[in-house]
Amino acid sequence: LPGAGIGAHTERCPAAWLPALQLLRRGSKAVTRHWKAMHFQRQKLLALTEYLPPRPALPPRCLPRPAPRQQQEDGYARVLRAQLEATLRASRMVAVCQYNAMADEDVATLRHFLRRHDIHVKFVLNEVARPVLAQSKLRNLLPLFVCRNILLVSPEPRAREMLRVLKGVPQVNLLGACIDDTILSRQGVENVARLPPLEVSQGQTVAALSLLPSQTCSLLQRGPAHLTALLEQHIRRLRGAGGAAEPPPGPGTGNH
Amino acid sequence: PAGPGGVAVPWAGLKKWTLPPDYSGITIPEKPKLKFMDKVPAVPKVRREPRRLRDIRGPSQVATDFTQGQYGILALGGGYLHWGHFEMIRLTIGRSIDPKSMFAVWRVPAPYKSVTRKSLGHRMGGGKGPIDRYVTAVKSGRLVVEVGGRCEFGEVRPFLDRVAQKLPFPAVAVSRESLQEMRREEEQRRLDNQNPWTFERVVTSNMLGMRKYLSPYDLRLKGRYWGKFFLKHRV
Repeated sequence: LPGAGIGAHTERCPAAWLPALQLLRRGSKAVTRHWKAMHFQRQKLLALTEYLPPRPALPPRCLPRPAPRQQQEDGYARVLRAQLEATLRASRMVAVCQYNAMADEDVATLRHFLRRHDIHVKFVLNEVARPVLAQSKLRNLLPLFVCRNILLVSPEPRAREMLRVLKGVPQVNLLGACIDDTILSRQGVENVARLPPLEVSQGQTVAALSLLPSQTCSLLQRGPAHLTALLEQHIRRLRGAGGAAEPPPGPGTGNH
Repeated sequence: PAGPGGVAVPWAGLKKWTLPPDYSGITIPEKPKLKFMDKVPAVPKVRREPRRLRDIRGPSQVATDFTQGQYGILALGGGYLHWGHFEMIRLTIGRSIDPKSMFAVWRVPAPYKSVTRKSLGHRMGGGKGPIDRYVTAVKSGRLVVEVGGRCEFGEVRPFLDRVAQKLPFPAVAVSRESLQEMRREEEQRRLDNQNPWTFERVVTSNMLGMRKYLSPYDLRLKGRYWGKFFLKHRV
């Protein structure tokens, strides 16, 4: 019965009414292999009920970029930093050089020649070196750690040998160094290389300092020596003038 | 990072080592390769059954989630799989996986539905044709095969994509995470849709008498399915 049907349905969806006749004019079934043509009303409904994405008032590209997230602490980076700290503490000379691409055998040769003078070549990554240097006494060398670098570390300050080796390698350029707690530029390193060795300079200093004291003795002896020379001259003249004349009693050769 | 003039200056930082994936909880079953599926069931049907295309229509209620494997092929449309498809899947996957470290599992049954076909060139009439072959019905959202083992999605995806392309319905290779991501994105689209008019709302309250032009199944399908096709862009 239509009334009973409509009444039962309105309990379920009170705000709606159900169509009495479904449209089934076309021949094909509901499920077809081809794309079945939709009724225009259905097409309109699908066009109306499409998805509309949310549009914020301010587009995200106008907002400032979010701050880059802090990368997780890398254990490997920690190990490398500890190694670098130990190396810097143990060495008297640390030279920072710029490194350009070299063939492997050239790198090996350079390492060999520097090793002969007890200089170690270390390749360092800037992101590992920067925090280590910022906390150590070498923080003025921080601006040098920009491009690809190598560190030449040595427990003895061998500037001359290092410069000699590096002169033959155009791909490695010395940027700066810290020798015996003194930060030096390239010119400073060259000057240090031209210095004489420690013993020689020590001897020179001692000689320079002891120059005046060494002259004190001769200074003090100058007066009496002059007097002695004059008297000797006088004696010779007297002897030469008259052989019988007895020499006057003088103090003689007085060694005062 | 950008250098002067906006030109990108490449620089290499410390290499970030990632841990290798953990395959501790994975066991490879005894028969890692796909089982052979019969062309005809063991007890072939005597009585020819009606077409019943509703087993293609709409979303699938079975086999929508992963059970044993980590990667699989998801059907994005309805269709019938016959023995040729099964053989293609079985051989391609069998060729591509390493049975010692990977395994594959069927998520669809062997062909069970008989499909009849009349001989060519005859007029209509003369009764229903004889049984031509057996097929398996697959609805959209169902997993067809599952692959698992000590492997990554990147290793498995090439051959799963190739298999998915050859199936009679649109399909895509998925992993557990990518399926979850797909579902989450769908849900998010449904929630942040700015359109106040949705198909569901119009149909349930029969606005403007729309139900005259729609099927009663559209109450359940909500405009996302049309015949055997799954409309992915609809919310």
